[in-house]
Amino acid sequence: MSGQSSPPADRRIFWPGLALPGSLWLAIFFVVPAYTIACVAFGQVDPIFRDAVPVWNPLQWQFSDASEVLGSVVGGPLRSVFLRTSFYVIAAVALSLIIGYPIAYYLARQEGVRRTILLALMVIPFWVSFLMRLLAWVNLLEPEGLASRFLRLFGIDQQWLNGNHLTVILGLVYGYLPFLILPLYASLERLDWRLIEAARDLGASSSQAFRRITLPLSRAGIAAGTVLIALPMFGDYYTNDLLSRSPRTEMIGNQIDFFVNASSQKQKGATLVLVLALFLALVMSWYLIRLARVRREAS
Amino acid sequence: MRAHHLNRRRFIQLTGWGLGAAALSPALLSACGGGASESTGGLLIGTPDTPIRLPLNRDPIADGLAPESGTFRVYNYADYVNPDVVEAFESQYGVSLEISTYTTEEEAITKLRSGAIEADLMIGMTDASMALLMAAQLVQPLNRSYLSNFANIISGLQDPYYDLGSQYTVPHVIYADGIGYRTDRDVDTTVFAGREGWSALWDSRYRGRAGILDSYRDSLCMSMFRNGLTDVNTSDRAVVEAAGSDLADLVQAVNPQIDILSYQEIPAGNRDIALCWSGDMLAGQGFLPEGADPSVLGFWYPPETITANDFFCVLTRATKPVLAHCFINFLLDVDNALLNQTYVGYQPALEAVTSDLLIERNGVPESLLSALVTPDRYRSGRRLVNLVPEVDEMWIDVWSEFTAG
Repeated sequence: MSGQSSPPADRRIFWPGLALPGSLWLAIFFVVPAYTIACVAFGQVDPIFRDAVPVWNPLQWQFSDASEVLGSVVGGPLRSVFLRTSFYVIAAVALSLIIGYPIAYYLARQEGVRRTILLALMVIPFWVSFLMRLLAWVNLLEPEGLASRFLRLFGIDQQWLNGNHLTVILGLVYGYLPFLILPLYASLERLDWRLIEAARDLGASSSQAFRRITLPLSRAGIAAGTVLIALPMFGDYYTNDLLSRSPRTEMIGNQIDFFVNASSQKQKGATLVLVLALFLALVMSWYLIRLARVRREAS
Repeated sequence: MRAHHLNRRRFIQLTGWGLGAAALSPALLSACGGGASESTGGLLIGTPDTPIRLPLNRDPIADGLAPESGTFRVYNYADYVNPDVVEAFESQYGVSLEISTYTTEEEAITKLRSGAIEADLMIGMTDASMALLMAAQLVQPLNRSYLSNFANIISGLQDPYYDLGSQYTVPHVIYADGIGYRTDRDVDTTVFAGREGWSALWDSRYRGRAGILDSYRDSLCMSMFRNGLTDVNTSDRAVVEAAGSDLADLVQAVNPQIDILSYQEIPAGNRDIALCWSGDMLAGQGFLPEGADPSVLGFWYPPETITANDFFCVLTRATKPVLAHCFINFLLDVDNALLNQTYVGYQPALEAVTSDLLIERNGVPESLLSALVTPDRYRSGRRLVNLVPEVDEMWIDVWSEFTAG
């Protein structure tokens, strides 16, 4: 028996009790919807109105539609959609890091009012709805748009909005970049800059100091920002919807949208949601393991 | 009208009704007179070959009732009625008109069934949803004594196959599938004759400047028409797959955009040619840049194409059914229908709304005369009818494979 006395009963209840609202929130707005999606995916279809009829008892679930979707993801038409989506997300995250890291780094090196102003300047454009900003892109990039006409002056005659992979990737980067910069900035802002000064004093070049000090210490921020933008990018459908509208750039979110909103096969859409969630859960697990490792190394 | 057309077509996909399922009850069967009816899954489905007279689910409202007062509620697609028409109706009847909108017929029926939406009048449903409206008992029989302008409707549509005798519905607008194009661009219009005309969309000269409808049945059928196949409700998987394969070739040839935005994109000059609905080009006049000549818009459709209409219906739970009848009658008036057309673009299903009248009164350019659907051409078109679930799923699978790239 330890020499410490156990905490009073009210404290044993009070502190865990603080987690109650959050737990309830998660239960109501995450667990229940997720279970409902499963009940739809493995449920039935109203024979007359073609509505999805969720089956709440897992013992009565049917997996024929789900196995069909899974087969398509593994070796059918949906495989190319999954691969294409993964490629877009990887490319967009990489580009976001290349663009976002220097911005976050620069912001973190500023101080006082200047930093506040720069932060505000970065965030203000994003007060405008994402939809409106993408529609502005459409106006600029359409064949008779300002940007297209300007680029044609230099001999660049691209069909930006007709199934152009680059346009979709740039659209994803544009939409999600701030969500990468902010956690990166938060991570870099806490960095002990004396370590870099020490590295320079000990003879490290600026690039060596960056590679061996700054970058390793900002890994948690990079991981957080990456996960933060990669997860919604995987489910994104409106970027492709607005900037391409071509089968050549179809993303998994577009297929989910089609099955759920435009077909009588909602159960297939629900199954795709589950498949995507499973995939993202694996990505998230990687992130958590990675984060734990970074913390261990830091301590 | 624009976005809703996709949804209208989308809804058609919901029309699988239980292949060879339970037969109707004898009482219901006996209630169906005047033509054959197809019973699938307990639903009453009319087709052009087997028109249907629907049983009355209740008595219509009595004759000679005074229009109600207060707020009159309409359930409609967004931007599918001219605000000037609304204002005129409100002024004439001393009521306020409140519009709730839906984006798909499926959504509309779901919300009406659940009671999430309460309305008096519904606008924009198609024959494909008639059986569902009846099965859910969402619509009530009309009293023709309030519809003094009913005779204005195109004669061929006064007795539609999906509702013989127009007991529950009144036709609203008509349209056809065809090719919208720019007359001021390098579009070869000499090919626009017979089914060969559909091949224009496969012409690589339009690469990056073409579009097709984001509507699986319309787009796949266009591919079938091109190959001389006219069974737009086929259950032959090989035929549908071949159509899907042709569409994949189309992507290789012209890389089209797949959407329902040609009514904007062609007038804006971003697209030279596209599969679209006739009403898209009529509506497109409103999307031309300021001062642009409306004759830059053209439309072509052959005899072998899809023609369709949507309709008005009074909802069962209407609290102002007399006003609902009055509003239908209001829009069956030629002047009001013409005023409405200037906003929504789509062609009213009225006999008097001829090409000449639309040119004279609404400024429809002569280049778009071909976008007007005459009663004869409406009759000669093909109708998308309900598909049984397995067939519908097969169509969706082919389309899904196509869009997956």
